[in-house]
Amino acid sequence: MKRADMLLVAVVLIAALAFLVPRYIGTDAKGKELVANITVDGKHYRTVKLTKEEQTIDIRTERGYNILKVHDYGIEMYDADCPDKVCLGFGFISLPKQTIVCLPHRVLVEIASQTGEDEIDGIVR
Amino acid sequence: MGLSGSESTQALKKTVIIAIFSAVAVVLGIVEAQIPLSAMGLMPGAKLGFANIMILTCIYFLRGRDAFMLVILKTLLTAFILGTFSSLLFSLFGSLLSFAVMFLLMKGGRNRLSLIGVSIAGSIAHNIGQLAAASIVMGTSSILYYLPILLVTGIVTGIAVGYAVRYLVSSLSKISLFEEFLR
Repeated sequence: MKRADMLLVAVVLIAALAFLVPRYIGTDAKGKELVANITVDGKHYRTVKLTKEEQTIDIRTERGYNILKVHDYGIEMYDADCPDKVCLGFGFISLPKQTIVCLPHRVLVEIASQTGEDEIDGIVR
Repeated sequence: MGLSGSESTQALKKTVIIAIFSAVAVVLGIVEAQIPLSAMGLMPGAKLGFANIMILTCIYFLRGRDAFMLVILKTLLTAFILGTFSSLLFSLFGSLLSFAVMFLLMKGGRNRLSLIGVSIAGSIAHNIGQLAAASIVMGTSSILYYLPILLVTGIVTGIAVGYAVRYLVSSLSKISLFEEFLR
């Protein structure tokens, strides 16, 4: 490897770190209630509380189905009939800003903390 | 046609090389699709980028438009065979960005970057292209959460692909078919 190669690797690593570091400093969300915002095709679909108890969320669109499972203060994609099954590979997520994406079905799941985020204070049950 | 004998021989050789390379690239693409990377705790959807070996080798030996042809052929054929049409747009976006970056670096920065550096840049460009396409389609930037991990995996796969290209180029250079394309 030449010197410029090393430089390229170093620059990219620093860029990756620059993205990662604020994430660890900024996550004092322990103890806060987390929610998962589910978006289908760019439109808000549902917001669910991440509870310890198990809940299942069934998303059915003309593209197919996605089944999400909430448990132990996190969420995971449980089953889907998308062709690539990439969304199942994201596994169980439980930290703010983590996401699950199912590109073929245009489904996006993003974790946010309920306090502090502005967009979700208006939920009335 | 207006081609002289040696010109048409060269055109034929190029066609043969592109055909062989795209066949190999498609096979490599199928092979890597069988490797469950996400089961190893890596970013889902991440690929090893073996097909990039053939594309970079093609950029090395042939002209940009030949390599461009290879990129289109490989992406379409892989989508046909694996039946992943829903992700065709994303892989096309990633492949084209990766190709553009590698082609420009080979033209402009050959003396500074080695093949391995070009390959690393190509891998990273591929990842960024796919992620950008995904965030445009989904209409959100939150997928960029995965950018750092994709940058790091891009370096690792880029180095692996770069070394493979280095060995492949030195082996192919000994074959008479590639003789006239040597630089």
